[in-house]
Amino acid sequence: MIEAESAPIQGEHKEVLLDIAEVSLAFGGVQALSDVSFDIYKGEIRAIIGPNGAGKSSMLNVINGFYHPQKGTIKYKEEVRKKMSPHKAASQGISRTFQNIALFKGMTTLDNIMTGRILKMRRGLLWQALYWGPARNEEIINREIAEQVIDFLEIEAIRKTPVGKLPYGLQKRVELGRALAAKPDLLLLDEPMAGMNVEEKEDMCRFIIDVNEEFGTTIALIEHDMGVVMDLSDRVVVLNYGRKIADGTPDQVRANQGVIDAYLGVSHSN
Amino acid sequence: MEIISFLNLVFVNPLVEIFSYPIFFAEVVISGLLTGVMYSLVALGFVLIFKASGVFNFAQGAMVLFAALNLVGFIEQGFPIWLALLLTIIVMIILAFLIERFMLRHLINQDDIILFMATIGLTFLLQGFGETLWGSNVKPLDLGIPNQSFEVAGLLLNEFDLFAAGSGAILVGVLAVFFHYTRIGRALRAVADDHQAAMAVGIPLKTIWIIVWSVAGFVGLVAGIMWGAKSGVQFSLSLIALKALPVLILGGFTSVPGAIVGGLIIGVGEKIAEIYWGPLVGGAIENWFAYVLALAFLLFRPQGLFGERIIERV
Amino acid sequence: MLYRETGQFKISYAADQSVFPIAQDRWFVSLIIVVAIFVIPVLASEYLLQAVMIPLLIFSLAAIGLNLLVGYAGQLSLGTGGFMAVGAYMTYKLTTAFPDINIIIVFLLAGLIAAFVGLIFGIPSLRIKGFYLAVATLASQFFLLWMFNKVAWFYNYNSSGTITAPPREMFGVVITGPMASAETRYLVTLFIVIIFAFIAKNLVRGRLGRSWMAVRDMDIAAEIIGIRPFQTKLIAFAVSSFYCGLAGAMMVFLWLGSAETEAFSINESFNVLFMIIIGGLGSILGSFLGATFIVGLPIFLTNAPQLVGLSMPIDMQKHIEIMMFGSLIIFFLIVEPHGLARLWQILKEKLRLWPFPY
Repeated sequence: MIEAESAPIQGEHKEVLLDIAEVSLAFGGVQALSDVSFDIYKGEIRAIIGPNGAGKSSMLNVINGFYHPQKGTIKYKEEVRKKMSPHKAASQGISRTFQNIALFKGMTTLDNIMTGRILKMRRGLLWQALYWGPARNEEIINREIAEQVIDFLEIEAIRKTPVGKLPYGLQKRVELGRALAAKPDLLLLDEPMAGMNVEEKEDMCRFIIDVNEEFGTTIALIEHDMGVVMDLSDRVVVLNYGRKIADGTPDQVRANQGVIDAYLGVSHSN
Repeated sequence: MEIISFLNLVFVNPLVEIFSYPIFFAEVVISGLLTGVMYSLVALGFVLIFKASGVFNFAQGAMVLFAALNLVGFIEQGFPIWLALLLTIIVMIILAFLIERFMLRHLINQDDIILFMATIGLTFLLQGFGETLWGSNVKPLDLGIPNQSFEVAGLLLNEFDLFAAGSGAILVGVLAVFFHYTRIGRALRAVADDHQAAMAVGIPLKTIWIIVWSVAGFVGLVAGIMWGAKSGVQFSLSLIALKALPVLILGGFTSVPGAIVGGLIIGVGEKIAEIYWGPLVGGAIENWFAYVLALAFLLFRPQGLFGERIIERV
Repeated sequence: MLYRETGQFKISYAADQSVFPIAQDRWFVSLIIVVAIFVIPVLASEYLLQAVMIPLLIFSLAAIGLNLLVGYAGQLSLGTGGFMAVGAYMTYKLTTAFPDINIIIVFLLAGLIAAFVGLIFGIPSLRIKGFYLAVATLASQFFLLWMFNKVAWFYNYNSSGTITAPPREMFGVVITGPMASAETRYLVTLFIVIIFAFIAKNLVRGRLGRSWMAVRDMDIAAEIIGIRPFQTKLIAFAVSSFYCGLAGAMMVFLWLGSAETEAFSINESFNVLFMIIIGGLGSILGSFLGATFIVGLPIFLTNAPQLVGLSMPIDMQKHIEIMMFGSLIIFFLIVEPHGLARLWQILKEKLRLWPFPY
């Protein structure tokens, strides 16, 4: 395994938000991940790349507690976690988007984004039945936050449209909005640019950079478009067949022979 | 003390009874098996349609009733039995055609629940139509099958029940051969697996559906004959559809052997519960036992005994 | 032209999230409520009240209950009749044991018991979904009805197995029992239904409603963003059963006067399911529309032949009714699978433009 040194950003001491150590994951006979170790600094954009089937989505699923690794430890915010449920991951500030959009198709854009606020809404059944008073105030407060997200993503015009009716690119944006509404510490993006044209990709890149710079959100991102990866990310992890084969800055990874070999046949422009 | 005597009553006594009177127990089991065969016949119709068109046909029970009503009606009109049978089969084929033309074709892209509700609507339609045509009195169905009881190795068996079981077995055998060895059977299995792919290789979806619903209609006819001859052709026949549901739960919605095994288990389970536990609680356990049994099964195996595991991917 | 929303701007989120954001809707619904409270009891005949209005309201409530579970939370249930029976029988037991407690309070208590029973029978929803869950709910339907039949304690050991509503008063007016007038019973029913429809609307436009819809649409994603699917489903079962139990209690005490388990059979479960399918899944308005359709249709079909001058033997009429019922359901599902509520929305869209065609 050819590995570049994990080079910290020059001159700055970075706090580690997430530390993955020797994680292995298997389903039945399939070994999805083998002894994968890397870390994610607070406030950085970390790309996870690799050929299809390399285990990238599985890695994200492990991070947010959907899959439980058979081996290895995960340290999030300085705390080693054993088995984590998705619910707990969400309440600890991890949000994500999905490769195949997992929006609630029967609800409007606004409602979908409001569901992102669900963990922050506490008012019980009785208050909700009444609606006036505490429950309504809570609705309004969270509506304001949702509207801020809608404003940020420039999707005001479609806020009342059922998401099932939206074109693919907009759906992906709404899904990002839902993840952002929770004001996460760690945002996991699973192929956020998939299926988009150049303009949509540029918009999405802009949003991702803004989220990282304005809100300081740490981002882990799976992406196939090499141009995007090189431009956006601070550091890159490369997986192949469930193993890590490179780890470092985009330039280091791009020059890495092992990575080039893994991607043999795939030409990446710029 | 009360708890012990309660436990005694529920678990120990029945076991004691079973072991003290093994012959009676065997008869109960056999009776249950035979009822189970009848359930399986109805469930089979469900499975056929679900496999080939993805539709959960709640109207299967009504189809049983409708078929039986027509048969009896034709016989009452004076037709000889063979002709009445033929006419009924033709009626069921026409029915399948009409269902495809006016219902399935328009609904096939909708949610499953919409299709399900439509089949419930179909149930009412068939019931009402059948009763409008032929009246709603209980009709006896005499097929000339003897109903004598006789003894074998100390067990009391009923000729008719054996005949029903035998017919059921033959029907299942024929269907199995049909599915696996004929061209049409292969086409049906292809459609069940993937509608689009089947169309892509040129299998005519509409024709297949008509065939499947006709076969289900025929299965319904056989079930109707068996049930009807036993207890007369009447409205409650369509309630059997409800009983077939636990059978499908146990056996899975897409498995022919599952429908059979499920039917047998439910039939036997129900009978045993009724005979040995029924008297404790005033009887009529048969009303709900099958469902509770299915429920218990589902808690351990959400996809039934033979069903396919539903794997959800994110 | 009539229905234009232009010019109606909301300047607060509260206003945007209100139940009837469009002014015309507010006027329309207020008008309906005023007519319902003041005009109908005066003008309607006893027959109209007893045979149409009261059952319509009661079944609307049951339909709302089932819609919360099936339409909003996506849990298919065929056990409605059973939960209505719980409400009815528990009301009977409570009021015969404690005749001094106000009957409305008894209704609510019975509803709570029904909610609890619903919660228990909702536990399988943790592992079971879709049609399988529907069959599991059949277990509750058949078991509960068997229990109310067999266990004589439920009907106070009387020989007929029927439960009868004893006379009860409120503010000096008799509201249940044979002496209660149709107008009184109608008004009580109306008030209960208005209040609880409002509550249902509040629940679905807030956090709980969104949790339900999220679990319905994609429960895995819901879990990942922090919703607890199992809890959400259980609450859906509990709230839904409360509504159905309340409706069941009202059915016996404010409408029929007496009932046996037959009144809560699987047919009722299917009836209510039809109401929400035809009315529109996931819509409170749809529950009302569907109930109107299903309650009104048999009455229409019974009376229509006379209006047209045909006369038919009763049982033939019954069969044709059943046939028409089935055909109309299929027809409806083909034409507008999203129900009357969607048709209503389309109508409103057209009204926005009327008299222009597009």
